[in-house]
Amino acid sequence: MPKLRVAVDIGGTFTDICVLDENTGTLEIAKVASSEDPIDAALSGMDKLGIDLEDVTLFAHGTTVATNALITRQLPSTAMVVTEGFRDVIEIGRSTKQDLWDAYKDNPPPYIRRRDRLPFTERTTALGEVEMPVDEAAARELAGKLRRRSYEAVTICFMNSFANPANEREMKRILAEELPGVAVSNSADVLCEIFEHDRFSTAVVNAVVHPVIGAYALRLQQRLRDGGYRSDLLLLHSGGGVMTPNTLDRQAARLAGSGIAAGAVASKYIATLCGFENSIGFDMGGTSTDVSLVFGGDSTVTREWYIEYGHPICFPSIDIKTIGAGGGSIAWIDDAGSLRNGPQSAGARPGPACYGQGGEQPTNTDADLVLGRLGSGLAGGDLRLDPALARAALTRHVASAMGVGVTEAAKAVIDVANANMADAIRLVSIMRGYDPRDFALIAFGGAGALHGAALARDLSIPTVIIPPNPGVTSALGCLLVDIQHDITLVYLEETTCANPAAVEEAFGALETEAYERLESEGVEPAQRVLQRSIDMRYAGQWRSIAVPVPAPFVSIDEVVRAFEEAHLREYKYKRDGVALEIFRLNLTAIGLTPKAELKRYEPSGRTSSPHAERPVVFDNANETLETPVYLRDDLMAGMEIEGPCIVEQLDSTTLVPSDATVNVDEWLNLRITV
Amino acid sequence: MDERVKKITSLDPVTFEVLRNAFITIVDQMAEQVRRTCYSFVVYNRDFSNGLCNARGDTVAQGNQDLAAHVGTLHYTCKAVIEDFDGDIHPGDVFLVNDPYIGGTHFSDTRVLVPIFCGSELIAWSQANGHWADMGGSVPGSFDVTATEMFKEGIRVPPVKIWRRGEYCADVANLVAKNTRDPSAIIGDMVAQTQACKLAEREILRLADKYGVETIKTAFAEVQDYVERAVRQRLAELPDGEWETVDYVDQDPSGEEGMIPIHVKMIIRGDEVEFDLTGSHPTIGSMYNCAFGGTFAGIVAGMKTFFPDIPLNSGLYRTITVTVPDDTIVSARWPVAVSGFVMPFEKIMNSIFELWSKLMPERAMACAFNIEYLQTGGYDARYPNRPYFMLYDWLSGGWGGRNGKDGLGATSSCFGVGLMIQPVEGQERLCPVRTDRFEIVTDSAGPGEFRGGVGLDKEGTILDAEDCVFSYFCDRERSVVWGIEGGLPSRPHGLWMEYGGKKEFLGAVFSDVPVKRGTRFWRGTAGGGGYGDPLKRDPEKVKADVEDDYVSVARAEMDYGVVIKVIDEDLAEYEVDEEATLEARETIAAKRRGWLQEEPESVAQRFRDGEIDLYDVIRRYGVICNWGTGELLPNSTRDFRTSMQRRSASHWT
Repeated sequence: MPKLRVAVDIGGTFTDICVLDENTGTLEIAKVASSEDPIDAALSGMDKLGIDLEDVTLFAHGTTVATNALITRQLPSTAMVVTEGFRDVIEIGRSTKQDLWDAYKDNPPPYIRRRDRLPFTERTTALGEVEMPVDEAAARELAGKLRRRSYEAVTICFMNSFANPANEREMKRILAEELPGVAVSNSADVLCEIFEHDRFSTAVVNAVVHPVIGAYALRLQQRLRDGGYRSDLLLLHSGGGVMTPNTLDRQAARLAGSGIAAGAVASKYIATLCGFENSIGFDMGGTSTDVSLVFGGDSTVTREWYIEYGHPICFPSIDIKTIGAGGGSIAWIDDAGSLRNGPQSAGARPGPACYGQGGEQPTNTDADLVLGRLGSGLAGGDLRLDPALARAALTRHVASAMGVGVTEAAKAVIDVANANMADAIRLVSIMRGYDPRDFALIAFGGAGALHGAALARDLSIPTVIIPPNPGVTSALGCLLVDIQHDITLVYLEETTCANPAAVEEAFGALETEAYERLESEGVEPAQRVLQRSIDMRYAGQWRSIAVPVPAPFVSIDEVVRAFEEAHLREYKYKRDGVALEIFRLNLTAIGLTPKAELKRYEPSGRTSSPHAERPVVFDNANETLETPVYLRDDLMAGMEIEGPCIVEQLDSTTLVPSDATVNVDEWLNLRITV
Repeated sequence: MDERVKKITSLDPVTFEVLRNAFITIVDQMAEQVRRTCYSFVVYNRDFSNGLCNARGDTVAQGNQDLAAHVGTLHYTCKAVIEDFDGDIHPGDVFLVNDPYIGGTHFSDTRVLVPIFCGSELIAWSQANGHWADMGGSVPGSFDVTATEMFKEGIRVPPVKIWRRGEYCADVANLVAKNTRDPSAIIGDMVAQTQACKLAEREILRLADKYGVETIKTAFAEVQDYVERAVRQRLAELPDGEWETVDYVDQDPSGEEGMIPIHVKMIIRGDEVEFDLTGSHPTIGSMYNCAFGGTFAGIVAGMKTFFPDIPLNSGLYRTITVTVPDDTIVSARWPVAVSGFVMPFEKIMNSIFELWSKLMPERAMACAFNIEYLQTGGYDARYPNRPYFMLYDWLSGGWGGRNGKDGLGATSSCFGVGLMIQPVEGQERLCPVRTDRFEIVTDSAGPGEFRGGVGLDKEGTILDAEDCVFSYFCDRERSVVWGIEGGLPSRPHGLWMEYGGKKEFLGAVFSDVPVKRGTRFWRGTAGGGGYGDPLKRDPEKVKADVEDDYVSVARAEMDYGVVIKVIDEDLAEYEVDEEATLEARETIAAKRRGWLQEEPESVAQRFRDGEIDLYDVIRRYGVICNWGTGELLPNSTRDFRTSMQRRSASHWT
């Protein structure tokens, strides 16, 4: 009987389905149009692949449901109960703007309006003493007001609750009792961290998306169960792990980054499979490009992320830099005569000029088409690309203004786009102290394979890896991750005063909580793994660096040494003879999901031959070159081909420049040595 | 497109665009590194800037996220270093300077500069500028409002070397650091800024390797030409003409009662713009003076707000001419105290908002709230060793109403929108001061067809603190935030204190006031000024504001003539009484010109008697008082009324 793992990645335009057969290690892929109820597309896609849900052992899901709910503000009516005097924490925020200079550009408003933020008299001090407890009668009176306003969710956000959550929890107990059927949450049990804006904002995002994503997850899980699936639904979160619907009440906000994380996870998996501990994920789509970095086998992590500026979600998240450059980015000449690229995009409609859907602005896709790098069919030939329209748009908007021919204009457009993307990659890599020569570039997404090799050359990255299905690689990411929870504690002590036994005890408390969470997810003790790290900084600095530490924790000196190495790598200097401090203890709790392996293919022993030839313009020439075109399906494990050449497949086109060699490895990745 | 703009650069367009972006990326990366490694909490909260200059000291790129008050000053500093050390600039040198009289801003803004050599040729400079937490002087934080000369303000650092050919000059570095209250943090920031400059050096040399040093040098020139072309083209498209306004700093503490004028005249001729500040008041007897660097920054920052897409570099600065006689409040020279340069700076910036609002009505904006900064220092008696604590706190407030949109609320001041306010929980952990309230203030926004953004109040209590003192730096207690195109002023700044049942108004500027345990204190920020006649505001918008408590039912009627019926307060349900609204609006329209003519002393008397409140005094009668005692300030009232006549009343129909 087949044992299948299914990953479904639902995006705005397409739903990608990726099925791994545990017995054979083979992958099957389907891409279907997304539907109004996203679950319909997922189930019809599985139907299309002929999957019986009784055969499915694991169903993992990356979703943009939470992200879209936030962006479109299709949110349940939610109230915030706040300490009297602090009604506007989420509106005041840190009071900065994303665009400092454009006084006509506003930040997005808070997710909960001012009229729905209700003050309540209580207070806890910064050191955790309850100065004014929750008055039960007043709390029940407030509940009456909340009931009259018929909210679907309520979140309680009290000052200094990170130091002592007693008041928040007491309030929660009373409101939960008074308001049956309403989702009541409190900030410290979502994110137990100092700084009210970060904590309240995270709690608010959690509160407004929980009803949305919770209802969705339950519906999906029910429909899967109705079809015969017996395990828990696994949901991919921003930290690059999965969670079950059981912990959504405290963690729903992590799903706001679900869709973006999938690509980074897949990229890391493929790099690791190919033996690269260090890799850069380059996921280039139609309107934007996501760049992520893995060093020493670990993704870089950030706590500063948001879906909309000013409303941070402070759960640790894979650090992904998104830039507004993709296949559909528009090339234009600005007032002062400079050639620009993006961030405006032609999107899917009207799309690039060559789609013939009414788009008139030239895009990167149009330039790639004019240069012959892209063939005239996309997505397996469903869509025809018209080179004449591409040429016309480039001539009108770029070539004539620059006073050059259309080929030169197209090259200029691509060169500028590549340079912008290289700058973005440089920001997350070289400028953070990582040497690109130690990295592999994993290029995927609809347009990644077309641009990857050029970027790698610019950045001195020696190897580019193109996964077997670049257009649906993200879905694969959902299949390959473990259950993961991140728990933290602000500690704040100079290293010279720190007592290793006390640190160990604090870690112990975090571990107790970690085991509780894994228990609630149904993770067997043998499958539980805990990883510790400490955020360190020079005393007086404001930012810290996370340094992994062993369990049990015994040596302060060791963690100091590790911090100095990290500071030296990241900032190119360290300071001697100055005080250091511990800022925060971090614990990552992992519930291992059983892994299956992708199928390895034996070298075929055959040689490849091109399917066709077409004229292509490469970087270092202005003339076209008759270039062999291979079909990806013809490329078997062990084959080697030489650039210049083009590799075409259903969901992507790979451009291999001259003097580059392509090896097809045992997982059918293309490894391009540039 | 005119011929000059069409001129193709000598670099190919791709190399040009690649390098143009690369220079900005480098500077932004410097900013990121400074922020991750700095010690000064002021720097951490983004009071800093970074730049790349060419060999002559002209700015090639300044950071996208930099503080407004620093723009247009980095090239002055760089040129000053070059002038002082001409012939003695070598690889491995690192320079330090904070001198406001040679193009800097104030002593706290300390700049580190690294000359970038390609082989033996000096090709560029990188510069990291950050506001250090303390520069010495008579008070912690180095802002003494009683200073009239620089000798109370802190250490003045002319261009000096802190590394000489790669050798660390501990003597010089220590001379600076040991004149401050926290030498170890000062050295920490010095190192952090130096390393950020070194980062830029590595990147420029990488680009020089790849593209050739001549290409890089050409690109330095061409990115400036590019910006200059873009600005000149836009100026040429505007009509020639002169536009003029005057704004005020509240007072000269050493002079008689009356506001201190700053005159700004803008002259556009062809593709050039000139700013003439002639007529501005002579320097005053406090630290609220500005040297030419800060003045130029105010002009550039004001312009940039109307051309937000134009990159910041010397190409922009070349299109601007500034005329100002010596020794005015906007052209102070050594040794006049200038630590409060930001007060004249913000007046210049808002004046330029007003002037450009006439030229570009589609981006028009009324006056923004004034930056404010409360310094509290003392001993923390929560702990047995009574450590010294310093709490420096600044708030955000409202920006002016805009053409078609209300103003930005709870936004950092125009001194630098990137400057983040601090979390209360962090402050309470570090200092024995509890915050009791930190909220948006109902009715704080200047009324208008498009009202200003909302201002805030922060209220606190001194807990277990000993030998605690307050100093406060703010303005626009009297020169109240104004509206335009018929919009109304918002509300005055100032700090109140209550101890032992006695309530006292300390105003918007004072220094070293002792405060005892148990003292309650509060201060607020103004909302933005209104844009357009408030009687024309859509009543439904007023109702929505009432639902959210941005506007009270009472002031909806007083300021907007909109009568709101309360349906159910618990459910935030209200209704506009349309008939009563028509009537109220007619009454106000008929009377409001008369209100601005009423005898000021009688208005002040009614205020003292509690018949009218502060909002009425300012918004209806245009009268300025001492807000604590209610005493009339006749000279300030005279000038405030003239302004209100011009900006508000003359637009009412």
